[in-house]
Amino acid sequence: MAVMMANSRRDIEIHRYPAILYLLAPFLALVLQALLPRWMGRFAYFDLPLIVTIYFALGRRSPIQGMFLGALVGIFQDALTHHAIGINGIAKTIAGYLAASVGIRIDVQNTVIRVLLNFALTLLSSGIYLVIYRGLLGIDMEWNWLNMILLAVGNSVLALVFFPLLDRFQVQD
Amino acid sequence: MESFFVRYRNLLVLLVLLVAQILGLAIQVHRTPEGQISLDPRDSRGVRLIRLWANAMVSPPERAAESSKSGVGWIWANYFDLRHVRQQNQNLQAEVNQLRLEQAELLEDAREGQRLESLEGFQQKYLYKTITAQVIGGSGTDLSRVLYLDKGKDAGLARDMAVITPDGIVGKVREVYPHSAQVLLINDQTSGAGVILEQTRIRGILRGNAEGQPAVVNILADQRIKPGEKVLTAGGDEIFPRGLPVGTIAKIVPDPDRDGFVQAIVNPAARLNGLDEVLIITDIEPHFNEKQLKDMARSQSEMGSEAAALAEQQKAAEILSERLPGLTPPSAPAQNGAQAGAQNGSQNGTGPANGAAPTPAPAPRLLTPAHPDRFTPGYEGSDNGSAGTAAPAAKPSTHPAPKKPANPTETQPQGVH
Repeated sequence: MAVMMANSRRDIEIHRYPAILYLLAPFLALVLQALLPRWMGRFAYFDLPLIVTIYFALGRRSPIQGMFLGALVGIFQDALTHHAIGINGIAKTIAGYLAASVGIRIDVQNTVIRVLLNFALTLLSSGIYLVIYRGLLGIDMEWNWLNMILLAVGNSVLALVFFPLLDRFQVQD
Repeated sequence: MESFFVRYRNLLVLLVLLVAQILGLAIQVHRTPEGQISLDPRDSRGVRLIRLWANAMVSPPERAAESSKSGVGWIWANYFDLRHVRQQNQNLQAEVNQLRLEQAELLEDAREGQRLESLEGFQQKYLYKTITAQVIGGSGTDLSRVLYLDKGKDAGLARDMAVITPDGIVGKVREVYPHSAQVLLINDQTSGAGVILEQTRIRGILRGNAEGQPAVVNILADQRIKPGEKVLTAGGDEIFPRGLPVGTIAKIVPDPDRDGFVQAIVNPAARLNGLDEVLIITDIEPHFNEKQLKDMARSQSEMGSEAAALAEQQKAAEILSERLPGLTPPSAPAQNGAQAGAQNGSQNGTGPANGAAPTPAPAPRLLTPAHPDRFTPGYEGSDNGSAGTAAPAAKPSTHPAPKKPANPTETQPQGVH
């Protein structure tokens, strides 16, 4: 367990990226999220904007930055749907906050932790979405739990690919 | 105090962000007259602005990806996947790739041409004015089944226009932007279209479920509803014209919320998950092409001759009915009116017996009402001492004269003579 804790200097350092990447990565994630499901049909079990939010929140280790990124990405995602704007925003704000808060305490370079974090935060995000829709707004909506699990699995697998890819853009001191 | 804000800075920011978004959500929902909470179908100005910005940012790359046909696959095939190969065998591989690309592009063009040709053919046969548009993107989540089209307000699109393909209905235009439009698919949970089952003529509402399948809801359990039955638009929703194909019933499942009701899961006729081009009905006034107009004119002329023939028949029937006796009281002598008329005519010299003039048409006799009131012809009220009796002037006409022969001339009201 101690292996997973962030105790070395490398573990607790704040990762820096080129400024353009903060804009480009979320934007590309949003565009691909809008495009790919149309081509992949019902097998599009992923949420790229959430993966990007979790990645930057973990890397920057700043809950405030994680929250704002999550909120912006979520609101943008909501704007592309026909649902109320803010549902994804709230879910991803909380996901960004939790990812950054966890990132302070544990080793975020560990692959297992990344996968587990993505799985857990995707499930949590979907759960928050459901709670807001049904509980807060009181709107009836059918829900498929299997899809939710598959979405979490898909995000975890994609995080294995995208996290190392984005790591390559880190600015070395 | 300062240390409080510094210490709980993260939590406070979280709280502010959440409260702001919850308040934003609150202004987007409204209570229906039935007391249910639902999302406002018409976005407020602020919300619409956010959607417009998001759409303006996402649409250009989507459009670019769509126009390059292979989009991300092209980038993958020509960069990530072939980067090392190209370095090793640059010239040869480039040539092969180029040929493959051209071939794929030609094939795609040919397919697109075929699709457009069939769309064009359908468009010409179709009565309503339509616009062809290309699908350029989606919402990216299966919780919101919407599509984005490459045409918008500039092409004449407006909210609530029906979106169809030659195979069947697709959805309706939900939001229109200057150069693009958002379409709500029929398999979304918030969509709704009036439909009718072709054989059983049972009406229902088409709505999507969590699995993204359209289902006809609000129908009572009925053994006549069988899988395979076609579902058509009913035309009552003021969006889809009636009679458009929707799909076929795949299975019947009980409604989980209401006893005695079932849901008919529908296999959509249009391929909702792989749409490339669609038609938007911009005007539901029928527009006929030349051939249809000729057919209609011919049918109209045929109908005209039929109508003339019918009018002739009608006229003949009227003449015949004039010559036949009218209503006679049951207590009247069992004497044929026509015979009586002929006899009377021969007696008074007006009948056909003398061959000089035709017999006058017998006037119908009114039966005596059992309880005459103020609506009875000739009734003068109860002030004449006998309530329920008709006026003296009308008496001869309203009261039968059983003892007398049924002479039409005698049964005419006095005023007529």
